[in-house]
Amino acid sequence: MKVLSKLQRYGLAVISCGVALVLAGPIDAPSSCFLLAVTVSGLFGGLGPNLLSVALSALAFAYFFLGRPSPPIRESTSLLRFGAFLAAILLVTALMEIKRRAEESRSRSEEALRQAHVELAHANRVTTMGELTASLAHEVNQPIAAAVTDANTCLRWLTRDHPDIEEAREAAMRMAKDATRAAEIISKVRQIFKKGAQQRELVDVNEIIREMIVLLRKELSCQSIAVRTELAADLPKLKGDRVQLQQVLMNLMVNSIDAMKNVEGKRELTIKSQRAQEEDEQLMVLVSDTGVGLPPQHADHIFNAFFTTKTDGTGMGLRISRSIVESHGGRLWATDNHPRGASFHLTIPTKIEAHE
Amino acid sequence: MATQEKTKLVAVVDDDELMRSALQGMLKSVGLPSQAFASAEEFLNSGQQRQTACLIADIRMPGMSGLELQAQLNAERCRIPTIFITAHGDTKMRMQALRAGAVEFLAKPFDDEALLGSVRAALEN
Repeated sequence: MKVLSKLQRYGLAVISCGVALVLAGPIDAPSSCFLLAVTVSGLFGGLGPNLLSVALSALAFAYFFLGRPSPPIRESTSLLRFGAFLAAILLVTALMEIKRRAEESRSRSEEALRQAHVELAHANRVTTMGELTASLAHEVNQPIAAAVTDANTCLRWLTRDHPDIEEAREAAMRMAKDATRAAEIISKVRQIFKKGAQQRELVDVNEIIREMIVLLRKELSCQSIAVRTELAADLPKLKGDRVQLQQVLMNLMVNSIDAMKNVEGKRELTIKSQRAQEEDEQLMVLVSDTGVGLPPQHADHIFNAFFTTKTDGTGMGLRISRSIVESHGGRLWATDNHPRGASFHLTIPTKIEAHE
Repeated sequence: MATQEKTKLVAVVDDDELMRSALQGMLKSVGLPSQAFASAEEFLNSGQQRQTACLIADIRMPGMSGLELQAQLNAERCRIPTIFITAHGDTKMRMQALRAGAVEFLAKPFDDEALLGSVRAALEN
């Protein structure tokens, strides 16, 4: 509903009373007409115009439809009529005001709830830091170690009896490249911790899956986990928050790695993506492991806040992953994997809204 | 009398390209010839093992790890003095590497003089 300016709203009150006045005589229904006028003023105008229309209606009613003009009205029936009319239009005014206040308070609490969600997602990102630290420290250490070596090499070429400027220059260029690489890794990390509302863009889920596997590459090889991917080539792009979806996939993969930590036998992480054959356009992602598996009979409890089997776990990862998936209109659930382990299923609709 | 000239070739095995360039640059600045390999498998398939006088290897690599490479070379009776460099340097891994015959075990970022010292010592023997 377009927000009307103050002039328009008061004008509306005046006009609707005028119209009511014109119609009231011919159809002989002054009370109804003016009541309608007051209601319209209240609905579309707000409290001020509402009260204006109450005043105008009362005056018009008293002047034109109660017989003789000027106060006070002599006959008791007239008084009664006037009283009833006044009560009706004041009641409508009061009801309009109550409705307006309730709506305002509801939209305020919706805003507060949305803000709380943003805070919670931020808190989760910060605690997820513990999970990311190991692989990231490793990733960043590589280019830094290379930079230190190249810097020392450069110095060595320069502090000879006959310095080799060309070689020194090459070493310095390598060093710049190393430092840039380190900066790239750090800025990728910083993106994950930036606070903000959902940013929707077209996202390729297969790309996110590959990125997360690269980030966890060292951890996976350290734990001797074999990674198998079956990513559908025709997977549709999805309109969503890229950083949040990265977070969900990172969380599921880290959980799988942890579940397989001390397990004997084959350690395999499988990630599949495919287009779902349903009436809505959906995409499906499956993350399975051959780890310790789900707690018996309470598989869905793992999605509760504060549920954790890790000594240093916060218990918020799956809870938040699920709410991110649901905010994208999807579902996240877990089933047992056979012969052992757990499978996490993720479905998200890919239909793009017509009007955005 | 045929005296076989002692080879001084240093082999660098690391999956990270920046690290390979840095190590080769460093060795060049002290006049040591080097060859770089992106994986343990590439080194083993190259046939250069017999000409290698010293090996600098990363531990954690996709595919065969540095420790596995060391075990494989020991099995082939190809004893190359090996120096390990790694970002994850826990004591258990260090003991394992040294016990299997590694010359040195350094954590990244490493002091390049320490690395060069170990390389020179390996080449002396």
